[in-house]
Amino acid sequence: MSRSLQHEVTLLELVDRVLNKGVVLSGDITLSVADVDLVYVGLRVLLSSVATLEEQAQLAAGGAQR
Amino acid sequence: MIHVYGLVDELAELPPTRGLDDAPLERRWIEGLEVVLSRAETPPSAEVSREAVLRHAQVVEELMARSGAVLPAQLGRAFRDEAELAAALQEQAAQLVRGLERVRGCVEFGLRAVGEPGVEPEATTGAEYMRARLEQVRRQDALVAALHEPLAGLARESTLHRDAADEVRAAYLVPRDAISAFRETAERVAASPGLTVVCTGPWPPYSFAAAER
Repeated sequence: MSRSLQHEVTLLELVDRVLNKGVVLSGDITLSVADVDLVYVGLRVLLSSVATLEEQAQLAAGGAQR
Repeated sequence: MIHVYGLVDELAELPPTRGLDDAPLERRWIEGLEVVLSRAETPPSAEVSREAVLRHAQVVEELMARSGAVLPAQLGRAFRDEAELAAALQEQAAQLVRGLERVRGCVEFGLRAVGEPGVEPEATTGAEYMRARLEQVRRQDALVAALHEPLAGLARESTLHRDAADEVRAAYLVPRDAISAFRETAERVAASPGLTVVCTGPWPPYSFAAAER
């Protein structure tokens, strides 16, 4: 996987953790649900693009070996 | 308003970083727990900014580097004053103390794996549909066996989510002395043909901070 993609995935994983994991000590929610949903959509789009790119890379590598 | 970054144990010193909106970090003992927080005059804006996410994450990361254990707090919650925070902490005090023990000496790794899209057979009958569905479950079982089980064996605890779309998400609570073994194993399993695997970490133990169910 390319360095920039790895970086992007890592960033999205980070956002996912900060917004959706972690201990909840009640308190007032200050985030809208839409914000959190956007993060999930971003993750999903990105992962499928990673899968596609990897596939292309494997095809290219396989072609070179043959 | 009070913004909480996390609960800490054996924090050597506060990191030099400033918190959200450049407010200074404070460490306070409340209800027998040490809390790292910052204060703001106004309630935080309803929109989550990239800046706020990164700042919160950076503070938590730096707390992890300086303490025996840290329970990261979820971003996006604020307390009006210390009394409100104290009431919230008191309610969960015993769980939080157990939580700190649970993550002590550990870091978190994340794993996301997507299998090659299987050829969807044309299901014209109910039986064919069931066969296709079973096939999908079998593929996922194989994925879990190949990826998750070797990694879970090196972790103190793990979580596993399976999505319909052939996707597996997992988080691992890994003792510091097992990090290099975990990384080696992750590289080995990620090399499985026909799979896209993304392993990230080490993270502060976000996925293991919530109370055990």
